[in-house]
Amino acid sequence: MARLGSASHPWPHRAACGWLALVALAALLAGVLPLPYLPGVPDLAHVAQPPGTASGHWLGTDPQGRDVLSVLVFGARTAVLLTLPAAVLSALLGALAGGAAGFWGNKARLPVPYWLLAASGAWWALRLPMPGVALALAAGGLGVAALARLQQRAFPTWPVPINAVVMGTATTLDTIPRLILVVAVAAGAGLSSGALLGLLTLTAWPHPARLVRAQMLRTRELPFVEAAHAAGLPAFRVWFRHALPHASQPLRTAMPLSVAGLLGLESTLSFLGVGLSPEVASWGRLLGTVREEPTAWWLFFLPGICLTFTIISLIQLSRRPSVSA
Amino acid sequence: MSWLVLWRLARTGLAVWALASGVFLLSHHDLGVAARLAAPDAADLPLSGGAPTTAAQQQATILAIRQRLGAGLPLFYVSRPPAAHPRQWHWNGRRNQYHRWATALLHGNLGTSFRTGRAVTAQLGQALALTLPLTGTAAVLAVLAAIFLARRLAAGPWWQRPVRAALAALHALPLFLVALVLLLLLANPEALDWFPAYGFDQALEADSGFWTRVTTYALHLALPVTALVITALPELTLQLDAALRHELRTDYATTARAKGLAEKAVIRHHAFRNALLPTLTQVAELLPALVAGAVVVEVVFALPGMGSLLATAAAARDYPVLVGGVLLTGTARLLALLLADLLYFWADPRIRWHA
Repeated sequence: MARLGSASHPWPHRAACGWLALVALAALLAGVLPLPYLPGVPDLAHVAQPPGTASGHWLGTDPQGRDVLSVLVFGARTAVLLTLPAAVLSALLGALAGGAAGFWGNKARLPVPYWLLAASGAWWALRLPMPGVALALAAGGLGVAALARLQQRAFPTWPVPINAVVMGTATTLDTIPRLILVVAVAAGAGLSSGALLGLLTLTAWPHPARLVRAQMLRTRELPFVEAAHAAGLPAFRVWFRHALPHASQPLRTAMPLSVAGLLGLESTLSFLGVGLSPEVASWGRLLGTVREEPTAWWLFFLPGICLTFTIISLIQLSRRPSVSA
Repeated sequence: MSWLVLWRLARTGLAVWALASGVFLLSHHDLGVAARLAAPDAADLPLSGGAPTTAAQQQATILAIRQRLGAGLPLFYVSRPPAAHPRQWHWNGRRNQYHRWATALLHGNLGTSFRTGRAVTAQLGQALALTLPLTGTAAVLAVLAAIFLARRLAAGPWWQRPVRAALAALHALPLFLVALVLLLLLANPEALDWFPAYGFDQALEADSGFWTRVTTYALHLALPVTALVITALPELTLQLDAALRHELRTDYATTARAKGLAEKAVIRHHAFRNALLPTLTQVAELLPALVAGAVVVEVVFALPGMGSLLATAAAARDYPVLVGGVLLTGTARLLALLLADLLYFWADPRIRWHA
């Protein structure tokens, strides 16, 4: 057993976990670490100093006089706080949308009264002209419901093309490379980090949605889903409690890769100077400063090492999904 | 078959239109920042009569600039005026920014840049003259290198494992990191000073002979093309390699080996064409991805192409150029889809016969 345990954790995997834990720890403790300088405070007396020379700047300073060590630590916080939530949110959104698209296809049917009530609610919420129409729609919905109840019949239904809507939206978002889309939108909106998080989530969900949809197409034909249907469970419950956990399995492997992709995108954006405001410390922005000072190897080497190690560790993590085995 | 191609093109065209409209509406939603950025700084103004600019004058300037940018009109066909008490929708008719933009677009006019005041089509065309050779060369080289490497890898030499691992790691690294490594290693007076790092536009204007111009051109484009190839290569190679190995396990490959063919001949004449189809799909992804890659590469190497145009436009909130860039990337996707379909016809006779 001990042999098996050690065999399932070879050293690259342990090294990757260790590095990621270090980054996460730095991100968590960035506020309380005893750093001699803060990232936002330039020390104009020591500009572009190599590591180990200037007083207190252990890893040197950049051309604006900011301390490299503190930018690295706070950059780790930016990276973790931006990419992890974006990856989790996009995985959730993708799993729900892709799972629904795979489970129901275009064949889901919603009873007509619900349609009418939803339409009237939307009419009211958007404050479209002639509020009477909203009332008429709601009344019509209730009328249809009452009529069906009186005649002891099931509600008539209209189809909901879930698959077409989800896949159409995903294809639309995938038409343009993510970088171009994010740059174009981010420039237009002038983003806070919350808005950037939303934008990253919005552009990242199609991939998990495709994965879950493909898996769901296979899952819904499996005997246990059929058994759940046969047991008389409502379709929503079968989807949410039985099929969806099974169909979300591919996301476990895809999650670290998604984080790696988002980290690359975030640092590219910061490198280009789009998105986050200049005060926010970021590895990509620090890497960008090397163009002003091509001789400053430490400005490139240190954040480059951080970024490369993190991304390679994430890939290593995705290669061995089942750690518990 | 042709209907299928047409349908796909129409769908992609619709998606491009929707995305461009979305970016247009989002960006023109609030032109305040763009107007402020387009306003001349107090320091830049010629001191005509030495009159200090008052707040009222600045207000007037901003207002005039907003008029010039077209912000005087309502944004869309319908709007909800904030002042009106019962918050009703208001129908604006055809006098709105979106309608003007769309009509101009159908006439092939992308508007004028906020920043420079030049026509966006002219700017994009000028930038494309640099970017097309860059991305085109990179695409061709990446595909050729991927085919070469995947064929060698599929034969299973001793170096296959480390190369696959290196390709997988390279695949995830952001392009700007690779480009910066190349720049700092090979175009740095402190390290190896083999290639020029910047100054492309000055070098070509010099009055020099044909061959000097060609060598300058090649020297300036060598590193950017290398960076693009390095980032495009891993995905293509890994995919083609996996497909080749799958094909080599099939029965017809066993038969070919049983005939006494060498492994290389089996790969080249039997498995390769069958393994090629998924790669052709990737070609459709490659062209737009290279346009996006050009954004990073051209910023790093200071090349005045599409990418740096888009990056500066993003920094300066130059929305017409950004929307034009989105449309152009979408067009690249359309062309790539068409190309991929043509390649399908060429590669797989079964598709040709069914057509």
